Amino acid sequence: MQSFGYKKAGSLDEAARTGADGIKFLGGGTTLIDLMKLEVERPKALVDITALPLAAIEKQKDGGVKIGATVRNSDLAHNDYIKKNYAVLSQALLAGASAQLRNKATTAGNLLQRTRCTYFRDPSRACNKRVPKSGCGAIGGHNRNLAILGTSNDCIATNPSDMNVAMMALGARVHVLGEKGERFINIDEFYLLPGNTPEKETVLQPGDLITAVSLPALPAGTVTSYLKLRDRASYEFALASSAVVASIQGGKLTRLRFAMGGIGTKPWRNPEAEKVLLNGGTIQDAVAFFLKDAKPQSENGFKVELAKRCLTHSLKNALKA
Amino acid sequence: MDKIQTVKPSREARHDAPLKVTGQAKYTSDFNFPRMAYAVPVCATVGKGKIRAIDSSSARAMKGVLGVYSRENIGALYRPTKEASMDYRIDEARPPFEDDLITYYGQYVAVAVAETFELAQAAAKAVKVSYVSEKPKLGGKLEQEDLKKTDHERGDAAKAFAQAEVKVDHVYVTPTEVHNPIELHATVAHWTSPDKVTLYETSQAIHAQRNVMAQILGIPRENVQVITKFLGSGFGGKLWCWPHSAIAAATARKLNRPVKLVTDRHMAFTNVGHRPRTEQRIQLGADKNGKFKALIHDYASQSSMDDEYKENCGEVSGFLYGVSDVKVTSGVARRNQSVPTAMRGPGAVPGLHALESAVDELAIALNMDPVALRILNDTNDDQMTKKPFSSRHLKECLELGAQKFGWSKRNAKIGSMKDGDEIIGYGVAACTWPARRLDADAAVEFTRDGRVKISCGTHDVGTGMYTVLANIVHEETGIAKDKIDVELGDTNLPKGPIAGGSMATGSVVPAVVEACKKAKKNLLTAATKIQSSPFKGLKDDEIKFEKGLVTGKRGGKMDFASLLKKLNMSSAAGLASVKGNMAAMDKEKFSTKSFGAQFVEIGWNPLLAKLRVRRVVSVIDAGRIINFQPARNQIEGAIVMGVGMGLFEYAVTDARDGFIANANLADYVMPVHADCPEIDVTFLDYPDKEANAYGARGVGEIGLAGIAPAICAAVHHATGVRVRELPVRIEDLLAT
Amino acid sequence: MSEENSKVSRRSFLRHAGVAGAGVAALPLISNAQNAPPISESEKPYVPDGAQDVRLNINGKNYDLKIEPRVTLLDCLRENLNLTGTKKGCDHGQCGACTIHVNGKRVNSCLSLAIAHQGDAITTIEGLGTTQKPHPMQKAFMEHDAYQCGYCTSGQIMSATALLKEPCGKAAGDVREAMSGNICRCGAYKNILEAIQDVRGV
Repeated sequence: MQSFGYKKAGSLDEAARTGADGIKFLGGGTTLIDLMKLEVERPKALVDITALPLAAIEKQKDGGVKIGATVRNSDLAHNDYIKKNYAVLSQALLAGASAQLRNKATTAGNLLQRTRCTYFRDPSRACNKRVPKSGCGAIGGHNRNLAILGTSNDCIATNPSDMNVAMMALGARVHVLGEKGERFINIDEFYLLPGNTPEKETVLQPGDLITAVSLPALPAGTVTSYLKLRDRASYEFALASSAVVASIQGGKLTRLRFAMGGIGTKPWRNPEAEKVLLNGGTIQDAVAFFLKDAKPQSENGFKVELAKRCLTHSLKNALKA
Repeated sequence: MDKIQTVKPSREARHDAPLKVTGQAKYTSDFNFPRMAYAVPVCATVGKGKIRAIDSSSARAMKGVLGVYSRENIGALYRPTKEASMDYRIDEARPPFEDDLITYYGQYVAVAVAETFELAQAAAKAVKVSYVSEKPKLGGKLEQEDLKKTDHERGDAAKAFAQAEVKVDHVYVTPTEVHNPIELHATVAHWTSPDKVTLYETSQAIHAQRNVMAQILGIPRENVQVITKFLGSGFGGKLWCWPHSAIAAATARKLNRPVKLVTDRHMAFTNVGHRPRTEQRIQLGADKNGKFKALIHDYASQSSMDDEYKENCGEVSGFLYGVSDVKVTSGVARRNQSVPTAMRGPGAVPGLHALESAVDELAIALNMDPVALRILNDTNDDQMTKKPFSSRHLKECLELGAQKFGWSKRNAKIGSMKDGDEIIGYGVAACTWPARRLDADAAVEFTRDGRVKISCGTHDVGTGMYTVLANIVHEETGIAKDKIDVELGDTNLPKGPIAGGSMATGSVVPAVVEACKKAKKNLLTAATKIQSSPFKGLKDDEIKFEKGLVTGKRGGKMDFASLLKKLNMSSAAGLASVKGNMAAMDKEKFSTKSFGAQFVEIGWNPLLAKLRVRRVVSVIDAGRIINFQPARNQIEGAIVMGVGMGLFEYAVTDARDGFIANANLADYVMPVHADCPEIDVTFLDYPDKEANAYGARGVGEIGLAGIAPAICAAVHHATGVRVRELPVRIEDLLAT
Repeated sequence: MSEENSKVSRRSFLRHAGVAGAGVAALPLISNAQNAPPISESEKPYVPDGAQDVRLNINGKNYDLKIEPRVTLLDCLRENLNLTGTKKGCDHGQCGACTIHVNGKRVNSCLSLAIAHQGDAITTIEGLGTTQKPHPMQKAFMEHDAYQCGYCTSGQIMSATALLKEPCGKAAGDVREAMSGNICRCGAYKNILEAIQDVRGV
């Protein structure tokens, strides 16, 4: 780790003022400290935001919920209101990492979790995401764990988060405190495709501080679930995962969002695939539509079939209600 | 079935348990010294080439950095004697930084030493090395480029195979596997004078470490002391000296300060050995009744460019079954990869994956039950050495295992057994591991403070050596275990054997028993001879030692501590030297081998592409079991490692430049707690007096042998897919 | 909790460690000897540029240190405070050997900065129980032989004791999942599970 300055922010304003290029906000540190040790991240200074009043889970009047940026993954997963109303989120969180990492990792940190691509994580390798225009070691290299959707000729890195997949299916909104005050970003617009600028992963600007994530109220009769497939039984990133949020009223599917993890360069959602089912199409058609643009790499062709089984299973379970 | 003798379970805490559960057991990197500096190596980022230049200016400019060393300024480091014997064994003989050649990715090219770990780490990252890079030789089919040899031949295997009525002929592949003990390799080097060094090492072989390090450093052997009090396991990866030890010692000498060097997890994949990739062709033929007629085992294992390590895959093919015509041939294929080394069950474990998979495939070709096929080809003689087995109970292992597992419920039809959405598969494999004894010296001392001290320069790598020796001396003397001290892991102690090859327990126990007997005798002799003794004048058979008390025939009883005080003795000691049989195996009358049977149940859920090992039943014939609980623990642990070998583990080399692409514990997938199947281990109870006086053959390796092929057999039973290249991965099964 | 403040350097800690070692002597002694030379009081710990004053509360005791912000809690415990019971296995949150408690919750100390944990109550294996008075979980690990080499054991025990206060189901499968953040390469999982269920009375 290169040396850096450290400061614990005493107030939101103070934190927002210090935000700038080369300065990173420190929450749980499970991604940031890890990448600093590898010197993939080399911030000049860290602003520790864990003392800020951002650790609350607040039920909203409309039945929705606002989750503070520094709420720990374990606290969120075990929160009664979340378990009851947003089971998919609780399940996704508990499917990720380990109990001790979940005790550290925060909501905002998880939103910004970086890819596990081995070429990204090793500064001796070519990686366009780490060093723009330096090339991509993963294409033609070891890419079993990497993406089949949303890739470009410059980057095939997967977004590794479980939580983000649930957030995508739930239609979360990200609260951001920036230079011009507070603003809200729908999760659908939050992540960027790599294209030819894979170093840009979200729409956040330098200095922006995520303060919370809010979830909309879900109508009665909503079923949610998360399914994660991987080699070993636990403590491993997803090869494929799926989150489904389906509302069924009077025997009719009225609202549906689903997303997949482990296969996309961002938590992957395709509203058109949801429409297939909302318009009375079959699960088979919806899954095929969802995966139609899949582009396998040298080692991860099996993910197309794996993703198909994962999503099919999740949708079948959700829609049988 | 005749009554099969099995070991009754028993439970007792280990001798070293209190230290292990309170964090007080001292592992190598736990040793801290005043003025200690920290060393962090710099590793090559190319797979082949030459160092063009090393720019360490910015690293050296960091305040608190004590030095950056490389081929330019490390000073003299010499090549050690390299011999196959255990006294001078080293797998990577090139001293670090010897020249500017890079032959594998990750090779050490420099080291940064600083006042703190953080500074050393930052400085190492700041060292800029430029290379003249060449295309490394990597991947491809493993050809036997050199050292091609015939390991064993009897009869005319080619002819017998051609004539066999039923046969199988396939190639089996085991990938590069990495030991990955959770304790990282480390050295703390502490020069106590300009030519004397104490090395705290993560070593399974402290004496070899001392001999080799003395040569590398160019100092007398007597001036090197190696200490390994507790080892965070090794699985073979900590047997022989690795280059980081020389780096730590050399920089400590240069700086005249203690230096701590803890390798990082990435280096565990590139700088401290691995089990090499193997490719093995097995041709196995039988008559139509299943009697084996021919076995041809031809294999190659991968090695590095400079050192040859051969994975001895064919060793077990010569003796596991009765087959008249056998040929085993082998060779090494050189690649630009780091040096391989022994990993748990070297040779036998990958060899049995091939052989036992072939036996399963032959059973299917014969339409025979695979347990019955193995029993049919059982043999009482080792046909390779033409000696009878000292004790072989493979048949009982298979029979008892089948019974405990419920093998009779198996429906041989592929995919026919179900549990909900899961398709169940049953698989079986036999396993074996040779029993050998090494030379061992040990001392036992009764001291005037009422304690017994056992000393032996061997190791407890998690196998329970501390406990075994305390228990044995307790049995021999009746002295309470809390009065028994065991000292291991120091080259200043009597020379003990390496902790490897399942040999340590069987080698050390006889020496300790002998030393203990001598110490008792020496005490009693003194008691009858010395003027001040209350037992003076008694004959040898008129005095005895029981439960720590010396008793004379004509009355009089005294605890040994009081007696020693009376005799003006500080202690009564015995030193014993017991020879092993490694040097003259051919002179042995019997072939001593352990055997076992592994039964595995897997579940494959095709809807979720989920493959899990659900259950393992293991029956092991390893002679006498000295300590039941740690012995069972070792077999259970080996089974967990076998789950990893069967389903998860393989190191990935980027064939373009040698980059090890999954050199960390998130991407090199090892079994976690949730992967642990239900495990049922039974030990047969047939002490083997030919193996050693205690009848114990050791249990370190055999538990891993046979697990992977049993998993592959079970996967085939469930899915119809025969995976011959380990591990079995989800992508192998997605067509089902 | 009564707090004892101590100004420490790495050097003076080595002496403390020597004293602590003596406490073990009443046990069946397995030579754990340090072979450390005597430490002179005049030797001062190295203070790197950019070091800051950091006070940590560990096992109920305050420690005042001068360390850089980049010092992880794990390295601080092991290298600055000689509390070497907490182990390094991967340094990247991938093995769990470094698990400790912060404010009663288990975390990976390798991914924690020491400076960020001022004011937190930190508990390490050394603070859990002693050889004379072991924590029930330490006792259960001894009885069930829930280790082989013992290297991952501190982390396993810290995880297991934290688990007692977590919402974890009774079934073996629940414990296995909850303990999956601690890799045991010796594979003593079966005995670890038995030890934990024993303490939980399941």
